[in-house]
Amino acid sequence: MSEAETDAGPLEWRPLAFLLAASGAAFLLLGVAARNPTPLFLALPLLLAAPAAAFAGPRSAPSARVDARAEGHGADVLFRGSVALRSDGRAGDLIIECDRPPGLTESRPPREGRAGALVTFERAWKVREPTIVVVPPVRVRWRDPMGLVERAVEVEASPTIVERYPPEVTRIGAVRLRRTMLLPGESRSPRLGSAGEFHGIRPAVASDPPRRINWRASARAGEFLANEYEPDRTGDVLLFLDARPSSLGPALDERLLGISRAAAAGIASSFLREKARVGLAVFGEFLDVVPLGMGKAHVQRVRACLLGTRLAAVRAPSERGAIAAARYFRPGVTTLLLSPLADEPASDLVPLLRRRGYPVVVLSPSPIPIAAAQRTLSDEEEALVARLARLLRRERLAESWRYAPTIDWEEYWSLAGFVSFLRRPLSRRAN
Amino acid sequence: MPTAPGGRGRLAGGASDATLLVAAGVFAGVAGGDRALLLAGTLVAVGLGVVLRRFAGAGARPFAPVPILAGLGLAAVVSPLGLVPALAAGAAGLVFLLWLADDPHRPAGGVRRAGAGLLLPALAVAMSWVSALLLPPGSATVGVAAGLLVLAIGAVAFLLARPRGFDREEALTS
Repeated sequence: MSEAETDAGPLEWRPLAFLLAASGAAFLLLGVAARNPTPLFLALPLLLAAPAAAFAGPRSAPSARVDARAEGHGADVLFRGSVALRSDGRAGDLIIECDRPPGLTESRPPREGRAGALVTFERAWKVREPTIVVVPPVRVRWRDPMGLVERAVEVEASPTIVERYPPEVTRIGAVRLRRTMLLPGESRSPRLGSAGEFHGIRPAVASDPPRRINWRASARAGEFLANEYEPDRTGDVLLFLDARPSSLGPALDERLLGISRAAAAGIASSFLREKARVGLAVFGEFLDVVPLGMGKAHVQRVRACLLGTRLAAVRAPSERGAIAAARYFRPGVTTLLLSPLADEPASDLVPLLRRRGYPVVVLSPSPIPIAAAQRTLSDEEEALVARLARLLRRERLAESWRYAPTIDWEEYWSLAGFVSFLRRPLSRRAN
Repeated sequence: MPTAPGGRGRLAGGASDATLLVAAGVFAGVAGGDRALLLAGTLVAVGLGVVLRRFAGAGARPFAPVPILAGLGLAAVVSPLGLVPALAAGAAGLVFLLWLADDPHRPAGGVRRAGAGLLLPALAVAMSWVSALLLPPGSATVGVAAGLLVLAIGAVAFLLARPRGFDREEALTS
């Protein structure tokens, strides 16, 4: 038997049990010392309470099934679910503990409901800015009503992912991308779908919209038949995430990286939905890569990589990222670089990627709104600092524009400018 | 309808608070005789514990039983010899456990769910009191009760050191 199995849900005494036992022992000693039975009578229930509670509770770790999901939209996150006890037990004795992921704030007090062996829970959180985070599985404990003993409940649950990004991102998949296959069209996708080149006819199903019905063929066959299409691959896109530390400091860097990660997750999902091939490169100290790919499994691969992305401890030279990218991705792949462009080394990455043949579009989350929210100076000084920061940022973006179109992302909950820029025809998009 | 975790609000559990105050008051009254100061001190200590549990933040709430135990302990130490103070002390101890079970910050029905856990202490108090009543008066009562309690303390210490002793072995086959 493994150690984990052995240690599953052992009985634990709570501090109150020790307090009662110590008080009981003290009263006993006082009673004997004073030759007075009254403290002994007071001591008796205190001494016996904890063992009695342990005997009355479950004698082995209870097990429960947890169903949890994240709902809501925009900045609101509603984390709700239920805990169903599998073994004997009462829901009233269960303690549900939810860990709030960093970056989320509580918008209203937690709520719980209990009926029989079922506990429903609800946590309302708010996200400050676009984010992709994992909510760890809830922890469940059985605790006796007096609060003297408890046991961890064996829970069968999986983590929940909260993704929040600007709504415009869902339309980004319609952008025309460049193809970088050696011979485009040589290996045809076996997938069939609702758009693309005509492939064949099949019996219609109830979910087919009227425009997919082949009316002539249906009239001839005497039953409804629907057209089937072979979807076009729209092209390839590389999401290049700059996860290097900058002069802004780790706290600000971390938040900006979180925003970039969320945007990358949204953009990747949208392109993958449209059957484009998506690659991901995270440049921290070295380059972590998810090669170009498509399909549902690839969504999970990209998401897992983004969830594991952390701010690098060391600022790597930009050449390293550009050289490493060339090993994994063919030149010509439309590259969306997500970088705050906070200082010189970050800005260097743009020309280096261009020189290696990547048509780069830069999406740069601005640090100014976050920095402005952390006020430490007087109004006048803050205004001056904000003005200087804007001038500096404008200069840096102008420098970046010399090599690649650069979109300043200040309003974190909107990517309308970025999406409308990308949806322009390729010829008009070139700088 | 979902409520706050354990959410019964601050008004819930008033009955157990009142019962504890009454039990502590009766015990202090029996123990102190005409000493009004002891009665007042016990009631203040118990009231402080009640207020702490009901209104204090999550950090201070676990300390609510401390003043109550101190108040009851003080009354027990100064009480005169006799069966009535002993019965009142045992009853106050049991009411204190009931009060613990009726936590307003946890779901309703705590007293009902704690019934099985409270049975053993209640039986022990009843047996001790009955034996004290039936045995000849004098120091024999103290000796018998002390013997029982030494045994109880030994058992408690043994169990506190071995919480796994409460685990039931899972059957290897079903």
